[in-house]
Formats: sequence, structure tokens, C-alpha cells
Amino acid sequence: MPTDTRRITGPETSRSPYDYCQIEISKEENQNELIKSDKKRKDGRLAAQLRPIFLKANVISQARGSSYIEMGQTKVICAVYGPREVMRREDFSLKGQLTCDFKFTTFSCRQRRQHQQDNQEKDLSVQMLEALEPAVCLHKYPKSQINIYATVLQNDGSALSAAIMCASVALATAGIEMYDLVLASSLGVLNTVLLVDPTLQEEENIANETGKSPQNAGTMTLAFLPSLNQVSAMTSDGQFLFDMINKSMQQCIENCQKLYPVLQQCLVEDVKEKANLTHA
Amino acid sequence: MPLFKTFKITQPKEYYEKFLEKDVRPDNRELGEFRPTVLNIGCVTTAEGSSLVKLGNTSVICGIKAEVAEPASDGKKGYLVPNVELPPLCSTNFKPGPPSELAQVLSQNMVDFLTDSKCVRLEDLCIVPGKLVWSLYIDLVCLDFDGNVMDACTLALMAALRNTLLPVVTVDEDSGEITTDVSIHQKLSISKCPVSTSFIIFDKKILLVDPTSEEEDLATGALTIITEGDNLCSIYKPGGTPLTDTQMKTCIDRAFLRGREAERLIEELIDK
Amino acid sequence: MADVDLSEPEKVYILHSVQENLREDGRGCEDFRHMEVETGLISNTNGSARVRLASTDVLVGIKVQLTPVDPKKPNVGRIEFFLDCSANATPAFEGRGGEGLASEITAMLTRSYSCFSAIDYTSLCLLPGQQCWLLYIDILLLECGGNLFDAVSIAVKAALFNLRIPNVTMTKDEGGIELDVSDDPFDFKRLDVSGAPVIVTVNKIGHQHVVDASEKEEACSLAKVMLGITEKGTVTAMKKEGSGSLDSESISEMIESAKNVGIELNKCLLNILKEEEAKIEEPVGFLR
Repeated sequence: MPTDTRRITGPETSRSPYDYCQIEISKEENQNELIKSDKKRKDGRLAAQLRPIFLKANVISQARGSSYIEMGQTKVICAVYGPREVMRREDFSLKGQLTCDFKFTTFSCRQRRQHQQDNQEKDLSVQMLEALEPAVCLHKYPKSQINIYATVLQNDGSALSAAIMCASVALATAGIEMYDLVLASSLGVLNTVLLVDPTLQEEENIANETGKSPQNAGTMTLAFLPSLNQVSAMTSDGQFLFDMINKSMQQCIENCQKLYPVLQQCLVEDVKEKANLTHA
Repeated sequence: MPLFKTFKITQPKEYYEKFLEKDVRPDNRELGEFRPTVLNIGCVTTAEGSSLVKLGNTSVICGIKAEVAEPASDGKKGYLVPNVELPPLCSTNFKPGPPSELAQVLSQNMVDFLTDSKCVRLEDLCIVPGKLVWSLYIDLVCLDFDGNVMDACTLALMAALRNTLLPVVTVDEDSGEITTDVSIHQKLSISKCPVSTSFIIFDKKILLVDPTSEEEDLATGALTIITEGDNLCSIYKPGGTPLTDTQMKTCIDRAFLRGREAERLIEELIDK
Repeated sequence: MADVDLSEPEKVYILHSVQENLREDGRGCEDFRHMEVETGLISNTNGSARVRLASTDVLVGIKVQLTPVDPKKPNVGRIEFFLDCSANATPAFEGRGGEGLASEITAMLTRSYSCFSAIDYTSLCLLPGQQCWLLYIDILLLECGGNLFDAVSIAVKAALFNLRIPNVTMTKDEGGIELDVSDDPFDFKRLDVSGAPVIVTVNKIGHQHVVDASEKEEACSLAKVMLGITEKGTVTAMKKEGSGSLDSESISEMIESAKNVGIELNKCLLNILKEEEAKIEEPVGFLR
């Protein structure tokens, strides 16, 4: 690895202590069982149950708009800056530009991550952008750019959908004109079981199962514009039998619709708070 | 735009002077008053130790990831690797890409803070002498940049270190095989609790504690004092306006006061 | 990607013609353009292929290398994709101009192949827990004429079909096991590619959707759906791209088309590859 002269560096190589955990085989088998006999998941949820959500707008004083979301243990913070001037002249365009930057903090996962953005983070940045771009009225912001920065403080599954919703609320509080809010929902599929809003462990278990049988084993994330009834992004990983895709898609849309009031309420609270401040 | 806002933007220095004449700051604080400090310990469960500090608007999150590594030649010392990130998320001042100069300075300040105060003995991070030691990656991410990131960082750093739980790692003497037992955890032994207190010098004469980013922009000099209990650890004054003896004395007294305050805050939360 | 400048009337023309299921080059909405596939044309690789889809030109070379296994997955080999956008294709790729596109295509390929059923990853592992094969798949984009993702994925599958992995003999030694890679060019094993996916991109144009869009058609499309599809019709990766949004019914229709086209495409490709191999012919390469 090339040395980073701008950061404090530690030993040349180091490994996570969890690499040396002894895996008990009987335990391993139990882990792959996603739904226990009482029809509940590891964390006590039903298969179609979402995790509780905590959402707060305006958490970063320096940003034009910002928000923070918790979905179970998944924690994402997001800031929106702009519309501001495009610095490089070659990037000039009559349509506004939207950029997305998705980053995991180094301590957000079980294995330590690097400071520089890796390929997975770059891919997730693009996916986030694809999900948000259809909702933003970019033609209203000629010659300018709007920057979205999302940072995952802790990843416990469904980080992409949490980041998309967080960014959508941040855009709204920044006063950026949009056609609609963007909602997002993830889904894990194993054989015929659909697990809504999967945790990291469930995502990993599903990834380990892909290809072992000719059945379904994968995760899907879908972004949805509820009042326009349009899908703005859809991605899947792993193996899906064809019929399952439609079913999963419908399930994701249903979940997104469930989340719509949560985002709306958060924005209403934010407006109330701002109104109180100006009156006081 | 209301008149006072126009005044603030066009003549920020004069705007501040109007307040400081009456010994008060625009955010209603006295000159020697800290902003409300909020501390949250253990907020990221994927990290071995974590904390979140808010100083008014400024917020910094600290996460510690522990890894195992081979020791350097002397064989007994572990590694402490602190890094401060100032991502573009936290302020318009920062661009994406490699760490800014300020971030590099802060990272180096954290190294000095840890080595000067000796709050963690590197020998305590040894697992098997000459073979295996702990390497603690301490990452401090600023989430909201509104001045005095230094004090927020040091407080977050200490709180996260106190919160750190390491799994038990053993090395088989014969085969050299490493095993980790995640069912038992051990705490780091930290006996000291150093605290930093930062000031800025406004208009070459007035000292303000815990500056906001607006105040930092107007500063003609800065000063950071690190105390540990009743001891003075270090004073960091990178140039700027010179200070008189009496001014130094006031600052040091204020720093000791803050040191005890911050220590009490950490103790209270750790005991919970 | 290379920008095509279309005037409003040209766009309207393309839009209307797609509506009538008769595209500007005479194809129907689910037809592919003429495609040429050739394998084994670079002698210093372990497997290679070139695909020319109308004016899109892609060259793929695979090199294999022995490497220690990933400790988290001790029983499988690995593959890695690299894509280079040649500045010959379009001036926009000069310098670092093609990096964004390259990382998008490699990300999509990595996801499509991350499913264990895509290729037999366990057969790439020589000594579980110790040594495995690492496949470096290098892709060179020579010319862009629309539908890059599909063309690249077809070329990758063809190169994997062509791949010859040298046989390895293992001898037990005092210090452990010694690996000896065969020098004989005829002493090799092949890889089963029947489960390998191809990517099918479906572009939404007006109310209709088309597969294998030309550059002009891509310029008229605001949203597309990409799927990695195997011969059996299972989907190994999916992604929506573009600045537009889609309603769920049209997505259903689009993936239905993608499935049909994908299954057919996989079959045709495998047939052609087998036919080509049966013929003993001098490689023609770029001289054709």
C-alpha cells in the first residue's frame, strides 16, 4: 500500500482480531437460519416488519440543509451544500449539476475501512445520485452545482436506502426545488422468504447463500417517488429468479409508501422549529 | 435583510466590538464561558470504543477500531494512530480529497496530546512481547465545524478511550496460532484525563474561550492549554499576538477550571 | 460517453419510429444489431475475445495468476475486472476522462459475477485455504457505438469460454506442498461458462423500450434498466440508470423483455462460440 503522507500512519500491516475467531460449526448453521421457528427474525421482527426510524432535520449548522437518520443500528448523516458556483469552467452547463459523495467512516463496520473512497463507496455514490436526480428540478439551477455528502456512522444493513432518504430530507430542508420526496427501501430475499429492511448480518448470510442452490438469494434496493408513483432507482445483487423480481419490487414500493408519513412529519417539525426561532 | 445582519456581514469586526464593549458575545455568552457541552458515549457499536461530543453547534464523533499487528523492533510497544477528518460534509471550507492542512495539524496535535500526557502507556497495548501488539486506530470525524474543533476532539478522544473494550487475544506458545475470544472483554487502563482548553485573541487584547468559527475567523492569535488534574501538560501557541503574564495566568486558571468540569462530565457518563 | 448532438426533429423522428416498432436502422424493438465474435486472438493471454457490435468494439484478455486465497473465503478463486477506455474511441476519454465510465462498467460486471453460480469459483481453488487462481480480466474499449455494457459483458463471457487454465501438479514435500504449473500449451482445463451472465440494457424511449440502443437512441433515452441475465433466465444483478424515473409497470415490461432477449442472447453466443471452435481457422483479428 502506498504510504499516506498527509495522515498519521500506524504499523505497515495489521489485522482485525475478529479474523482469528474460532467458528463453531453448529453455531454457523444456526446463523444461516434467518427466520426462527416462532416466525420471528434474529432481532425479534416479523419478516415484513421495518425497523423503527429516527429522523431529524437540520443537524449541521454550517450546511444549507442536513439531516440524520437511524434505522435500527444503521446511522447516517447527510449534508447539502449549494446551489453554488461551479468552479471548473469546463463543467459549465445550463442545467444544474448534482453530485453525491457516499462515505463509510472507518469505524462504521466490523472490519476497519480505509480513509480513501473505495470502489464500493464510489458505486454507492453513483446509485445514490441516480435515485435523487429524477426528483430535483435541476433546470431551476443553471450554471450551479448542488453537493450532497452522506456519511455512514454505523452500518447495520440497508445503508443505501437510509442514505437516500436522509439526503432527500436534507435537500428539502435546504430549500432545493423538488418534484417529490425520494423514499427508499431495501429487501433481502432467500428462497421464498422476503425480509424487509435487512440487517447487516442478514445481508451477509444471504450473500453467503448465493449460488449454493438454484433458488433466490439476493438483496434489492428501490427508490420511489410516492406522489408521482414513479421508481427512480432500482438495484439488485445476488441471484433472483425472474418471478421474484416483480414480487420484490411491489414489496419495496409498499414499504416506501409506509415511510412517506415519517419523512413528511419530520419536515413539518422542522418548519415549526424554524418558525418558532424567527418569532422568538 | 434586517439591518443587524447587514452590519454583521459587511463589518464583522465592528459588529463584534459592539458586543465585546459590554463584555458579552453575540451568542449571549460571557467572554470566559464555554458553550453547552454534550457528551454521548458508546454511540457506535461497531467500534471498540466511541463517543460523540457537541460543543454548541460543533460536533465531533470518535470511533476506535482495534487491530493486531507485529510490534516494531523494541517489541513491547503498541500503536496509537489518531487521525482527524474534516470532511466536506462539515463545512463549506473543505473540499473532497486528501486531508486539508488544518486536518493535518489537528491530527498531529492529537499525537502530541497523547504522547505528552502519557494517558495510555504503549506497553499496556502489548499482547505477547516481540510478537503481537494492539494497534488502536482512533478516527475523529468532524460532523459540524463551528469553531474550537480542537477541544471537541480531545474530549471525544478521551471519552472514547475510556469506553474502549478489547476482545481477549491469546497466542499459542508452540504453534504461534492466534485466537480471539469475543465473549470476554477488557478495558484499557487509563489513569489520567487530560483536557484541552482553547482561546482566541480578539483585536490583539480581548481573550475569548471556546471560540465559534466566526470568532476564529476574526482572531489575531490562538492559544490552547492542556491540563491534567492539577498539572499543566502543555501550552500550544502558534504565533499571533503576544500575551502578557497576567493574561497567561488568567488563561491557565480558566483552563484548570474547565479541566475539572470536563473530567467530571466524563466520569459521570462512564459510571452510567 | 461520446456525445451525439441531435436536433429536436431528429429526436422526434427516433421517438416516433420506435413507437411503430421500426427503428431508424430498420430493426424491431427487441432486435440486436449485427455482431461479430472472435476468440483466442491474443496469443500471450490465457483467454481472449473480441466483440464488434455494429460500431462498438471491445477487446478482452484474461491472464491467470496463482495467489494466496482470501482468508474469509478459503475455498474459492477470484476474478478481477479492469477496463481501459482507449482515447481512440472518443477524445473525451483522454487522460482520466474515461475513469467514471470504466468504474461504472466494472462495478456492474463485478456485481453480475459476484453470484457464486456465475462460474465455478471452487474449481479455481487449487489448495483450499492456501492457493487459488486469480483471473485478471482486462477489457479494452476500442470504439463506442452505443450499448457498451452489453458488448463488454458478451466479450467477457466469450473470453471466459476461450480461457485455458494450465494444469497444476502438486507434489508433497517436506516443507509443504509444491505447485508446478504445466508449461505444455495443450495441458489445460476449461471453465464452464453455462452459468455466466450477459448484461442486457433496456432503454426507455417515449412509451416504448428498446434493447441494444445505438448512440443516437441512447441520446433520446432518459432512463434505462440493466440486468445481468443467465441462460436459465435468473437475474444476477440489476440497476437502473439515467436521470429519468419509471413507473413500476413499465419496469416490469422492460425486465420481461430483458429476460427474453437475455436467454436468447446467451444461447446464440454459446452456439457461435462452439461453432467457431469446431472450425480450424487462422485468426483474422482486425484485418477483416
